[in-house]
Amino acid sequence: MQEKKIKNKIIKRVKTNFKDARDRNDFKYNRLDFSVKKEIIPSVLFYLKDEMGFIHLSHISCVDWLEEGELEVVFILWSPEEKIKVFVRTRLDRDNPVMDNLDMIWRQANTYERELREMYGIQFTGLEAPDEFILEDWQGPPPMRRDFDTEAYSNETYFHRPGREDAEDVRETITKRSGEDIPDFAKKYSR
Amino acid sequence: MNELWFDIMGAIVTVIVAFVVGITYMGLSRKITARVQNRKGPPFYQNFIDALKLASKTSAIHHGFMQHVGPAFMMITSIMSVLIIPVLRGNAWFVNLNFHGDLIFILYIMVFGPLGMALGAGQTGNPNSAIGVTRGLSQMVGFEIPWVMALVALMMQYHTTSIVDLMNVQIQSGMWLMFSSPFAFIAAVMAMLGMFRYSPFDIVGAPQELASGPMSENGGKYLFTLMSSGSIFAFAKLTLYVDLFMGGAGNLVELVIKTFALYLIPMLYGVTSPRYRTEQSIRWFWGWPTFFGFLAIIYAVVF
Amino acid sequence: MINDKNSQKIVDFISNWARKHSIWVLGYGTGCGAIEIPPTMTSRYDAERLGIRGAATPRQADVLLITGYLTTKTLKRVIRVYEQMQDPKYVVGFGSCTINGGMYYDSYNTINVLDKYLPVDVYINGCMPRPEAVLSGFGKLQQLIGEGKANGATKYKENLEWYRANQKKVIPNWVMPEYNW
Repeated sequence: MQEKKIKNKIIKRVKTNFKDARDRNDFKYNRLDFSVKKEIIPSVLFYLKDEMGFIHLSHISCVDWLEEGELEVVFILWSPEEKIKVFVRTRLDRDNPVMDNLDMIWRQANTYERELREMYGIQFTGLEAPDEFILEDWQGPPPMRRDFDTEAYSNETYFHRPGREDAEDVRETITKRSGEDIPDFAKKYSR
Repeated sequence: MNELWFDIMGAIVTVIVAFVVGITYMGLSRKITARVQNRKGPPFYQNFIDALKLASKTSAIHHGFMQHVGPAFMMITSIMSVLIIPVLRGNAWFVNLNFHGDLIFILYIMVFGPLGMALGAGQTGNPNSAIGVTRGLSQMVGFEIPWVMALVALMMQYHTTSIVDLMNVQIQSGMWLMFSSPFAFIAAVMAMLGMFRYSPFDIVGAPQELASGPMSENGGKYLFTLMSSGSIFAFAKLTLYVDLFMGGAGNLVELVIKTFALYLIPMLYGVTSPRYRTEQSIRWFWGWPTFFGFLAIIYAVVF
Repeated sequence: MINDKNSQKIVDFISNWARKHSIWVLGYGTGCGAIEIPPTMTSRYDAERLGIRGAATPRQADVLLITGYLTTKTLKRVIRVYEQMQDPKYVVGFGSCTINGGMYYDSYNTINVLDKYLPVDVYINGCMPRPEAVLSGFGKLQQLIGEGKANGATKYKENLEWYRANQKKVIPNWVMPEYNW
C-alpha cells in the first residue's frame, strides 16, 4: 500500500512537470515506466536524479523496433531510498539515430553509450570516447540491429567445416534408440 | 699437478651431486605437495624429465646480452657457493675452495646471482619481470637482516668466520650449534623460509599474478639453466645450514638425511600457507625473526 | 659420429620421451572451456601425475591449449602468443567451438575452424569436454609426440604464407611485430 502511494506520487510529480510523458502503470511490483520524447530526456533524467532520489543508473539498454523503423533507448534507474526502479524510454529514428550525450549526469553512462554506439549505431552528440569499444577492426554494419544477418556474414567471412548439415536431431535419435514416443510438449521443439 | 686434477675432479663431483640431490628434492617437494593436497602427484624424478625437456628445446630467444647472461650469473653463483661451502666434514673430494672467512664471502655471493638475474630481467622489457625483481629485492632486504644477524651472532660467539672452524667447534664440544646457540638457529631458519621462496613467501615468481616474475621471458635452455642453478643453490643453502647448525655430515647419506629434514621445514610450511603480499612478507621478517636475531646477538655477547 | 643417422635416432627417442612426459600447458581460457581445467589439474583427475602442468608464460610453455571459441579479437592475441612460444610447440583445440564453431557457428565475431589459422595437433571435442576427455586428448598428444608425428610447428613454418593469408583475412588491421622465433 505504502509502495503504491509512493508510486502514484512519483507519477503525479513527473506528469505535472513533463506534460507529454506517457506512463505504463500496471505493474504489481516496484517498477515504473515512462515514455518521453528524446528532446527532454536530459531534463527528465536530471529531474529524477536530483529531485526524486533516483540516483543510481542501473543500465542503458536498446530495443530495435524494425517494423516501426525506430530504435528505443531504455534508461533503468533505481532509488535506494524508495526501493523503486524506473524505466525511461525514448524512441529514435532508425535511419538517423542521434541523441544527447548523458555522461555528465552519470559518469558510467559513458560506457553504455559506447556500447550502444558500437552495437546499434546510435550517435551521442558530444560523446568523448575512443571509437572502438569491444569490436576490433569492425567494418560491417552495427551487429546487434535486427536486419543484420549474422549467419550470412559469418558464412562469407569465416571458414566453415562441412558436416553440420546432416547433424541428427538429438531428441529423435534418443527416442528411436529407446523406442519411446516424443511427448507432446516436446514435439514443437523437434526439427 | 696431480693435486690440481684431483681438485678439479672433486669440484665436478660436488656440482653433480648438488644437481642430482637438489633436483630430486624439488621433485620430492612436488610429490609431497601433491600428497598433502590428496593427489597422486608426479613421480619424484619428474624434475629430471622437465630439465631434459627444457634442455632439448630447439629454440631459445633472448632480448639482449644481459638477458643472455642473466641465467649464467645465477649458475655461477650457485656453483661458487656450492664449491665454497664444505659439503662433507674432512672429506678430500669435497674440500674444494673453502678458506678462512668464507662465511662473509657466502653472505656476499648469495646476493650476486639475484642481482645479475635482475639486470637480465630488466632488459626483457616485460613488466612482470620488473615487478618480480622489485619484489624479490624487497624480500631479500627482509630476510637478509635476521640471516645476517644470526651469522654475526655465530661469528661473535666463536670468534671465527670460517665454516670449517664452526664445524670443528661442534665436534669438539659434542653439541650442535642449534642447541648451543638456539636463537641464532631460530632466526636463521625463519630467514630460510624466505630464501627458498615457497609460499607464503613466493611473491617473486607468483605464477598466478606475475607469470613467474623475473624468468617470465626465459624459455628453453635459459629456463633449464635457471632450474638447475636453482636446485644446486638449494642444495648449497641446505648444506650450509647443516654445516653451521647441525654439525656437518660425515658421509653423503647423513648429509642427505639432515638436509632433507631441514628442507621439509619451508616445504611443509609452504603447502599449508597462502601467499603473503610484499609488505606483509617484509613485516613478517622484520618481526619475530629479527627479534630472535637480536636475542642471538645478545646471547653471543653475554655468554 | 654425432650426425650419424642411428645416433640421431637415439637422441630423438630420448628427447621425444622427455617431451612426452613433461607437458607444460599454457591455457588460453577466454572461452567457456577454462572451467574444465581446474578439475583436470586438481585432486580429482590430477593431470600432474602424467607430467602435465601449467606454464606461466608463452616462453616456457610447450602446449597452447585453446579452450572454446575465439573471436577475431582474441585470435590476434592467440597468434602472438603462439609465435612467442619456443620450439617444439603444440596446439590443442579444446571444445566444439574450435572444431566447427560449435554453438557459435553463426556468430558474426567468432572464427569457426581453428586449423585454418593455427596448426592444431590434437582436437578434443565436446561441449564441454569432461576432464576424462581432456586427459584422453593429452594422451593422444603424448602418443603423437612419442612417435614424432606432432609436427604442427614445422607445418606452420612451411606454410606460413597460407596461414598468414587466412589470418589477415579476418584481422584487417595487422599490426604485429615480426618474431625471430
